[in-house]
Amino acid sequence: MAYHVHLENFEGPLDLLLYFIQRDKIDIYDIPIAHITAEYLSYLEMMEVLNLSVAGEFILLAATLMHIKARMLLPRSEPTDDEPIEDPRQVLIQQLIEYQRFKKASEDLRWLAELRSAHYPIGRTVNGGDNGIDPGEYLRDVSLFQLMGVIKEIMDRMPKSEPLQVEVEPIKLDDSIRAIHQAFASARRVSFRQVLKTARHIQEVVVLFLAVLEMMRRGMIVAQQPTPFEEIYLMRTLTD
Amino acid sequence: MAHPITEEILQITEALLTASPDPLTQARLNQSLQRNDISLPEVVAALQKQFQEQQRPVDIVAVAGGYQLVTRAEYQPYLQRLFRKAGKLSLTRAALETLAVVAYRQPVTRMEIDQIRGVNSGSVLRALLEKELVAIKGRDEGMGRPLLYGTTPAFLQAFGLNRLSDLPKLKEIGEIMGDGEAATPVDYATE
Repeated sequence: MAYHVHLENFEGPLDLLLYFIQRDKIDIYDIPIAHITAEYLSYLEMMEVLNLSVAGEFILLAATLMHIKARMLLPRSEPTDDEPIEDPRQVLIQQLIEYQRFKKASEDLRWLAELRSAHYPIGRTVNGGDNGIDPGEYLRDVSLFQLMGVIKEIMDRMPKSEPLQVEVEPIKLDDSIRAIHQAFASARRVSFRQVLKTARHIQEVVVLFLAVLEMMRRGMIVAQQPTPFEEIYLMRTLTD
Repeated sequence: MAHPITEEILQITEALLTASPDPLTQARLNQSLQRNDISLPEVVAALQKQFQEQQRPVDIVAVAGGYQLVTRAEYQPYLQRLFRKAGKLSLTRAALETLAVVAYRQPVTRMEIDQIRGVNSGSVLRALLEKELVAIKGRDEGMGRPLLYGTTPAFLQAFGLNRLSDLPKLKEIGEIMGDGEAATPVDYATE
């Protein structure tokens, strides 16, 4: 299955950390490093299973996390007046805070563009609008990590594969796309969880997930979520 | 001493606004009228008053250092059905983030952008350069003399800003984490 998804248009390693911080309501100034590192590594592993090409930056942050974790375990020398103890997490925390501020600013920009687009300029042909589909556009409301959160939950529930080697029936991406498409025959909106429930083993979950990403990329469906960490819904786009 | 604004001046300005592909500036108005004693902001204010009195479906907004004639926001639902994506940018999350860093930190090097975002922003930056939302503004004095990036007038137009100082303030972390999911409406200087 030579299929790769490039994360570049989706999100980076800092987004993954912020995702955990929000999900688990963690105090950004007091990050439980051991817990976060374990979570981070398990997501990284899953990204490999899902054939998401893991960029070097993800590995780099993994190394940074493990380095911080190790330093937290080392005994510290007594603080002195000229040399207060430095929290090994300090640099990472500052980086996360700075990044979060710009993420917020980018949402503000999105909002400004939205307001602006309510006004159609006169004296300009509006028809030649940009019709190209940006691969990231359809993930606007739901982050990749939120989708992966659902996958992880379902994968963890799957029966562990037997050591016995069974002939694996190859699953085709196109078949999965067709199957998902059929789910929309009766409904305009299908929950992501519902789509994945039809899978009988991990390979099928993987292919269904790739099918969903591919359908988003082609603009066939969009993913939306009423509020963070709630059910994610897939909706058919109007273009048919 | 500014010249009194006549009905004729108002009509000429409206014609210029209607035909201009880019926001109309004072310089362009002077060039067209062949005189420089007519204040564009005053003409715009008079036109806006007229539009309101006559209940016209258009308004004038200050954008990118000039003025633009636009349809009023309440007609968006109707226009949207015919002109789906008109004027709307389709920017990825990564592109918007990069743009935010450039907008607030300009002039900025690619290294600084990468550092804030924690990922390589090269290809995203290239796409923004292609869309002409970002431009090369020169070279840094530091090691290797890296390129410096900044935003363009097209950026101001796309986001409905008159000048860079109209950008909403960069929030402190407490404000972001504190209000949770509540969408904070941006201070949007109304037209």
